[in-house]
Amino acid sequence: MRKFLKTYLPFTRAGIHGATAYRANFIAWFIGDIMYCFVMYYVWRAVFASSGSSTFNGFSMTDMVVFLFVTNLTGYLTESDGSFAVGEEVRDGNIAMRLIKPVSFDMTFLFNELGQKSLTFTLIFVPMLAGVEIYKYFTYGRVMFSIGTFALYMLSVAMSYMFSFYMNVCFGFMAFFLKNLWGFNILKSSILRFLSGSVIPLAFMPDTLRSVMEWLPFSSLSYTPVMIYMGKYSGQEAALRLMLQFVWVIGFYIISKIILSAALKHVTVQGG
Amino acid sequence: MIQVENLQKYFKKTVKQPGFMGSVKSIFHSEKETVKAVDDISFHVDKGEILGFIGPNGAGKSTVIKMLTGILTPTAGNCIINGQNPQKNRKKYVKEIGVVFGQRTQLWWDLPLTETYAVLREIYEVDEAKFTKQMEFLNEVLELQPFINSPVRTLSLGQRMRADIAASLLHNPKVLFLDEPTIGLDVVVKDNIRRAISKINREEGTTVILTTHDLEDISSLCKRIVMIDHGKKVYDGSLYNLKQKYGQMRELNFEAADENSILALDYENAFASNGLGEGDLTFKADGTMVTVAFNTDKISVEQMLNYTLGTVHVKDINVKDADIEEIIRRLYKGDAEHGGSI
Ligand SMILES: Nc1ncnc2c1ncn2[C@@H]1O[C@H](COP(=O)(O)OP(=O)(O)O)[C@@H](O)[C@H]1O
Ligand SMILES: [Mg+2]
Repeated sequence: MRKFLKTYLPFTRAGIHGATAYRANFIAWFIGDIMYCFVMYYVWRAVFASSGSSTFNGFSMTDMVVFLFVTNLTGYLTESDGSFAVGEEVRDGNIAMRLIKPVSFDMTFLFNELGQKSLTFTLIFVPMLAGVEIYKYFTYGRVMFSIGTFALYMLSVAMSYMFSFYMNVCFGFMAFFLKNLWGFNILKSSILRFLSGSVIPLAFMPDTLRSVMEWLPFSSLSYTPVMIYMGKYSGQEAALRLMLQFVWVIGFYIISKIILSAALKHVTVQGG
Repeated sequence: MIQVENLQKYFKKTVKQPGFMGSVKSIFHSEKETVKAVDDISFHVDKGEILGFIGPNGAGKSTVIKMLTGILTPTAGNCIINGQNPQKNRKKYVKEIGVVFGQRTQLWWDLPLTETYAVLREIYEVDEAKFTKQMEFLNEVLELQPFINSPVRTLSLGQRMRADIAASLLHNPKVLFLDEPTIGLDVVVKDNIRRAISKINREEGTTVILTTHDLEDISSLCKRIVMIDHGKKVYDGSLYNLKQKYGQMRELNFEAADENSILALDYENAFASNGLGEGDLTFKADGTMVTVAFNTDKISVEQMLNYTLGTVHVKDINVKDADIEEIIRRLYKGDAEHGGSI
């Protein structure tokens, strides 16, 4: 384990360095996301106003605000751009530079991204989440934060991230076969946004559709941790959801290994 | 040390049909064309040898290196390096080799060099004392000191290449693969890199395979060369033999006293009875400076000098060995003409 960390922690350091080098991009992207949250806020406010009741499928307007912002914040931690990074390296042939090093392919990506995530966590996630809690304090008039719930939420987020990472690695390796992933990636991310329940809470869906989507792996990307955070799951249901997340992580880990070993036989490094 | 047997790599390329309808058609049905990038190549390299791998653009040099370093899987054939198959246990295999691709970098773009080397030290599990010693050595031969704290992004091409070579040698590999290590560099840096390679080879006994376009690299580093063209091996042997075999070309350079007297020269006619073939005699004049390349199998140096000195007044004259560039040009040409191997 020590050797493992010694080998891969440097990639985390490199990830942190990399993220700081591109902070201008990062800030622009962040501002765009916040604006998206506010736009969605007004959309939902209109929906609530036209429905004429103060709750909607068990969500109050305050819940909705929390849902929007926490979904967005969770996305910062769980989104992985592995498919983009792997795809890009396959396309430009730089994957060769990874293959000539005695390191495991997926771990270098994982630890590199963890570097970026640790930065996002401290600089964006923590302050924003504090903001959400302050908002809750003022609307409910009391402190709603519970360490236990938060711990469960973080556990769920960690698994969401691992799932997201391995799923994206699987997609990324498609680049070995497709050579150009771009259009494919856009299609993937818009479908995922919907399936993961980050655009519309799954609770708002018709019952049959909702239960199918809850069992699909994609809801574990965003919906599961957010619902845990908001305390919408009972203890038992939360345990079941966490178990399901774990199963999907293991499943996609195995699939990614199979795809990787097949893909490496197909590498055709172009140029130079 | 390195055994390569009947190595082959075929690439499937989709043939693009022209026009819009072509693109539409290719969605449903695409014609594949096979490119034989490496077509049945075998060679051996001994421990401590420096082998020069040469050939024109697209000959398949990089593809061979990629297979030897475990990046590509061969279509057929075998390579065993240092007792290992590169495709079998990649992580174990690459621990004992060093690789540099002139057109790519293995350094982390955002990290200063010192950090990159620290990362590599962890990855290769080099112990502290060895690392310090090796770093000192590399620093000395590659002169890394002036830019060792700069991020890789900010390095010039020459600095980056030196840094890359150092990165490939940190763990003191048994075999070093260099794919065009001097491409695009200026003379001073090229020289620096050549000295480093030759020093590593001498002092550590590192086996080196190097591909290049630059024949200076070859003549200053390699005793032996393998030449490939169109994926096939066309020459394997010492540089000396190559020169012996194809080195009958000489170059006569002289400066005539005045331009008009050059008009009197007619080499073609003078040696018409020598049975000259294509490329056996070429004549070039630039003002009063004249260069004549000739094949000594057909025209002796004495004949050439006698005719020249008897026809024009010269201020200065010299006869040079053909350089290996010339030899290789002839070799490529010979191969293209006869379509066979030499
Ligand atoms: N990934 C690839 N897909 C298709 N063809 C390739 C690929 N890589 C190389 N080739 C082809 O294989 C031949 C040899 O290329 P390469 O080994 O790069 O030559 P060199 O390094 O000697 O210039 C060229 O004709 C090139 O177009
Ligand atoms: Mg090449």
